[in-house]
Amino acid sequence: MKFRDQLRFIRQNIKKNKIRTFMTILATAMGCAFLIVLASIAYGLQESIVEDTLEQQIITQIDIYGQEDEKGNFQSLTLENIEYLESIEQVKAVTRRNQLRQMPLFAMDDYEAETAAVAAHFPSEVASGLTLREGRLPENRGEVVVGSHFIKNLAEVTDENIYDEETGEIKEGYIYQGNLVDEVLEMTVINNDDEKDSIPLKIVGVLEAPTREWMQDKNVYISDKVFSEVEKFTGTPGGELGVDPKELDSTSIETFDEVKVYADNLEAVQGIADKLDEENYMTYSVVNEMKQINMFFAIGKAGLILVGTIAIIIASIGIYNTMTMAVTERAPDIGIMKAIGANPKTIKQIFLLESSYIGIIGALIGVAVAYATSALVNIGLPLILETAFDESLPEGLQFSSIPVSLILISVGICLLVTILSGLRPAKKATEIDVLKAMRREI
Amino acid sequence: MNKEIMLDIKQLHHEFILGKKKQQTRISVLKDISFQVKKGEVVTLVGKSGSGKSTLLNLISGFIHPTRGEIWINGSEVSTFTEKQFANFRLKHMGFIFQNFQLIPSMTAFQNIELPLILKGENENKRKQMTLDMLEKVGLKEFGDYYPSELSGGQQQRISIARALILEPPLILADEPTGSLDSETEASLLEFIQQLNEDLGITFLIITHDEVVARTGHRTIAIRDGRLVESGVSQ
Ligand SMILES: Nc1ncnc2c1ncn2[C@@H]1O[C@H](COP(=O)(O)OP(=O)(O)OP(=O)(O)O)[C@@H](O)[C@H]1O
Ligand SMILES: [Mg+2]
Repeated sequence: MKFRDQLRFIRQNIKKNKIRTFMTILATAMGCAFLIVLASIAYGLQESIVEDTLEQQIITQIDIYGQEDEKGNFQSLTLENIEYLESIEQVKAVTRRNQLRQMPLFAMDDYEAETAAVAAHFPSEVASGLTLREGRLPENRGEVVVGSHFIKNLAEVTDENIYDEETGEIKEGYIYQGNLVDEVLEMTVINNDDEKDSIPLKIVGVLEAPTREWMQDKNVYISDKVFSEVEKFTGTPGGELGVDPKELDSTSIETFDEVKVYADNLEAVQGIADKLDEENYMTYSVVNEMKQINMFFAIGKAGLILVGTIAIIIASIGIYNTMTMAVTERAPDIGIMKAIGANPKTIKQIFLLESSYIGIIGALIGVAVAYATSALVNIGLPLILETAFDESLPEGLQFSSIPVSLILISVGICLLVTILSGLRPAKKATEIDVLKAMRREI
Repeated sequence: MNKEIMLDIKQLHHEFILGKKKQQTRISVLKDISFQVKKGEVVTLVGKSGSGKSTLLNLISGFIHPTRGEIWINGSEVSTFTEKQFANFRLKHMGFIFQNFQLIPSMTAFQNIELPLILKGENENKRKQMTLDMLEKVGLKEFGDYYPSELSGGQQQRISIARALILEPPLILADEPTGSLDSETEASLLEFIQQLNEDLGITFLIITHDEVVARTGHRTIAIRDGRLVESGVSQ
């Protein structure tokens, strides 16, 4: 028997019992839609949260705070560590910075700025993607580059109130307007005895603004030689004030506060982070956080899919019932067909096809209903929440999202359950006794 | 194996088992039945009610399995067939005519005749042509769109014969084909059977109570209490 003829058969059968079939399809569709919508909430929230997190972080970046030794003590990272990190495969760059542990005063003619000084390793910074807006990178001891927002802090020296009362920022009129490159900057640091030391520096370049709009880079990037000079002047590591140099052990090795590893690509991040974890480095990367968020949502999704599947199983009882009735009703016809020479397999196929048909149509309608409901939830729920709580929700928050994978999972579950529930009735149809059926005994 | 033999029954026994496992009773319905039907023969099977005629036919049709013995049809030992094998064999080699026609009520006359072609997997154009030809052959050209309930008994029986013939099986088994018909309709049906036998060489095995029907065959086999009692040639 040809497949087309089988289809024609089931169409005829369905026509004979339109309402019963329709009701069964409806139940299946509702079950399927329920499953998709339920799970779509988990997908939607996950997407919103993950997107939000990604937006604020550079994805290929792994922050390294230090390393634990065998006893579990914290160790700052040394040059040896850096060299090791650089040797790891798929690591693009390892940047290391040391921030001066006091805020120096930077003076330029009649303008002054109090801001952080950072010693950075420029070759690795460049490799990690750092770019200059103007000028060039420092080459000598006394050369520096400044952050993109440094100029916003460089204000005229005056007795007047230079701060805007509302924003707390320096008023436009007091900010330095000229060119920075090639200007000389006088950096003044102090030591524990309140003695001052001035170091003249030359600005050779200005950095590109950070990619995130809300980030401001006001730093002055000094060379490590100048950094050491300050340390020598104060006698403390990082030029820190308020600590007694005599209390510190003198075996000072060069360490780094702010070390970041950049991976070649997103896929490599996880591998590198795992490797570093193994070697007791204390790390943080967005991937770590993603892992936790994703784990949480995976559990949530599995739970919701389970609940939704129960709805489909309930609907499948309807299919089982419908198919059993169909088999009983058609038993005489099946008997005749078998008597003429219909293969039991063919008869089974026809009934399986019929229950699959109900399943497929139900699933398709369910998917359509789910999309509609999902759209409604995304439009309606924020409106309801905003009016109810009088608070605006974060922009781009999505309550319900239906990825293709969810559709595939749901339709798969729906079809599996409906086919399974049609299996027994179909088997029953093949077992119909020809003679009994022809005597109308069934 | 003789190529001239269509049906060869060898020492066929059949018992029905009644009751549940512990209180089973066996009733022996057919005992040591052996006979042959040649190709192109019309053989009638007679006997009292309850003598086991239908049981014998059901065994040959494969609707039930024999307790013992062999059934050879057209050179194949069918009693060892699986259900699936028998289904395919029936479709190819056997046609059936039943006392109460056994047409599918939800299908039109046309669709009922077409059914074996569909089961065989014939394509639609060929199916349509063959079915129309067959409708014409049984003299019901205008009745293709009628449902069985809208046809007379004789018309229904001719539809069921058309269905049995559509795949041109070499053997047709009929269990009281004229049982529900008046004598006039019966006569025209018998004529039709004879014509099919002469024109197409189809072999018939016909169960009947009716003297007239019994006389139309080449030969009559009689059963009494499950045993073959005589086998005579009609005049
Ligand atoms: N399914 C069955 N289970 C038990 N006994 C059966 C069954 N079918 C038939 N019999 C018995 O087998 C015997 C023969 O029945 P069968 O139907 O073959 O008779 P028959 O010759 O066709 O009679 P009739 O001329 O009335 O149709 C009967 O005694 C009947 O009771
Ligand atoms: Mg009988």
